[in-house]
Amino acid sequence: MTIGNLGNLLMLICLLASLTQSLYLLPKKIDIDYRVLSRAPFFASLLAFTLLIYIFVSSDFNYQLVVNNSHSEKPVIYKIAGAWGNHEGSLLLWILVLTIFNFIFSYSKIRPVDFKKNVMAFQSLMIFGFTLFLLFTSNPFLETEITVNEGLGLNPVLQDLLLAIHPPILYVGYVGYSIVLSFAVGGMISNKIDREWAEWLHPWVLIAWIFLTLGIGLGSFWAYYELGWGGYWFWDPVENASLMPWLAGTALFHCVIILEKKNILQSWTILLSILTFSLSLIGTFLVRSGILNSVHTFASDPARGLFILIFLAIILIISFTLYAFKGPALDNKNEMNLVSKESAILANNWLLLSTLFVVFLGTLYPLGTDLFLQKSISVGPKYYILSLLPITILLLLTMIVGPNAKWQNDKILNIILSINKLFIISLAIIFGFSIYFAELQLTQITLLTLCLTLIFVSIKNGLRVNHGYTIIKSSLGQSLAHIGFGLLILSVVGNATFAQEKIFQAKVNDTLILDDHMFKFNSVEQTEGKTLMPLQQLFI
Amino acid sequence: MKKFNIKYFIPVSIVILFLIFFSQVLNRDVSKLSSQLIEKPIPTFNMPILSNDDQSFSTSDIADKNVALVNIWASWCIPCRSEHEILMILSKIEGLNLYGINYKDNKDNALQFIEQLGNPYNKIGADINGRSSMVWGVYGVPETFIIHKGTVIYKHIGPIHMNELEDVILPILGKIL
Repeated sequence: MTIGNLGNLLMLICLLASLTQSLYLLPKKIDIDYRVLSRAPFFASLLAFTLLIYIFVSSDFNYQLVVNNSHSEKPVIYKIAGAWGNHEGSLLLWILVLTIFNFIFSYSKIRPVDFKKNVMAFQSLMIFGFTLFLLFTSNPFLETEITVNEGLGLNPVLQDLLLAIHPPILYVGYVGYSIVLSFAVGGMISNKIDREWAEWLHPWVLIAWIFLTLGIGLGSFWAYYELGWGGYWFWDPVENASLMPWLAGTALFHCVIILEKKNILQSWTILLSILTFSLSLIGTFLVRSGILNSVHTFASDPARGLFILIFLAIILIISFTLYAFKGPALDNKNEMNLVSKESAILANNWLLLSTLFVVFLGTLYPLGTDLFLQKSISVGPKYYILSLLPITILLLLTMIVGPNAKWQNDKILNIILSINKLFIISLAIIFGFSIYFAELQLTQITLLTLCLTLIFVSIKNGLRVNHGYTIIKSSLGQSLAHIGFGLLILSVVGNATFAQEKIFQAKVNDTLILDDHMFKFNSVEQTEGKTLMPLQQLFI
Repeated sequence: MKKFNIKYFIPVSIVILFLIFFSQVLNRDVSKLSSQLIEKPIPTFNMPILSNDDQSFSTSDIADKNVALVNIWASWCIPCRSEHEILMILSKIEGLNLYGINYKDNKDNALQFIEQLGNPYNKIGADINGRSSMVWGVYGVPETFIIHKGTVIYKHIGPIHMNELEDVILPILGKIL
């Protein structure tokens, strides 16, 4: 048996086992041992993925995928990365991540068993769909018809260490939200949406969120130093595709906390859980069907697009219809006070969703005009910056106020008293900066002051100790994340204010002048690389 | 507790609308994907030519030509290799000026590519960092623009196949040549 046959066989096992497991969703319960059925797909796809890496590392040019994406003289690390740097391989990685979450979940102590089985059955339905997709339209183990001795290599821009590890990390987050959707669907079927449900869901949402954040961060950092246009975020449709689940996931994360503590907002939490992974699926559809063009998109194929669309429709319609019928009975009637931690979190939820709306509209608008008006337009950074500016200011405000408000009921005066000093200090720093270094405009002053206040307030909150004089872990995590957001906006504003770009045509020995700085274009050198010869432009 | 509430059907309705929208988008003909540049004057650019750093290929080369064709290619691009044959055919048409922009390529590889497969171009600009191709709104290689009296009139994304040459490209050229 060739490696390819073995790979196909493993994926077939994955397909059948997950199909059987998903039958549990049918009204007539068939009781089968979920342990074997939810674990078999994991081992099968793990082994298949290992085989794929193996054929890449050994440069086995009997396989089309290796021919198209690898080269025998590539360093091993890029051979490995080549395995997922293409549509087929990354799809296998998708499936692997789906099964990893199902696998780990199968060991959880969550009860009742019926709920647990429903969650796994829905997760298996998704594994089944993607495996079917892989086997029929995107088989990574396809053999070549003619003998080939050498591969075509990987696009030089993509040969980078950070980029090599960026997809797997991103996927753990992006695909990890699948288990959250399964939690929502399983919970609705078993009528188990309560405090306990939120408590169980909490760590999964957190893990997916951390990996997605890390993945987006790495991608953005790569764009900054590799693409070299001084940019770190281009509002590219594919970047937006990863940003949208992140926004919904962030809103969800906050909402789960309210449900856990106060046992309210059940249907809203469910809606966000469904929305988050739906956005991951929509993003995948946009990227892999070839309807959007971007640096990230894979080669387009209409059959693939149609398949994902049908699958997308099935998953989304099942989940949202279930929500339509189960939603009304979920909510506890519980009055919320305007001045309380929960309403600050809810306000933050709405702001995150407004941001999501802006991004969603910007991403799909060109498709809309293209379809209805036969006119191509592109939505640029200006649209995003102008629309997101007021939202960002409000978001910073709720982030400063929220963590300092008490649950249930608080007084505005108490909150103001707890932050006023830090706010005044921040304002003084920014004013000082504006007077002595560079004159700032009102919007910049507002943004920067709020960022600084947020950072100070978060540091103060993070260092809060409980009675045993130990730092409270959950508030430390929250503070770090909020400090990170504050620093992010701070640097975004700083960069927007002070960065200068000018495009020159230059030959060696030309001198360029930008403000007070003089740049001399000294030489162009080709350094010996293992696979490519990077051009180095040396400036003084 | 209420059992049924029409409000909760809003999300599923929105989802269905979007699904219909997506299916329509999927059905549209991608090859008709137009360019920002259509019906607009050619963008301003300037780059050295492939074989000699001291000479340049710029807007002025094309602006005064009646009919010009600009093809963006690279030696590492496999579809470009198959398309090259078509370009060789096009290069034989009288009155048609063919130009190439070599995109993010290694100079030696590019020259070797031309040596092996023939040179259909009047001039080849070398765009090592892809900066000049940006003004053309290049998505990827290959891409081909047809220019009539300094105005972009057609953009082709992806390699030109034989049937596209006959059904699309030649009829357009026939009207303006």
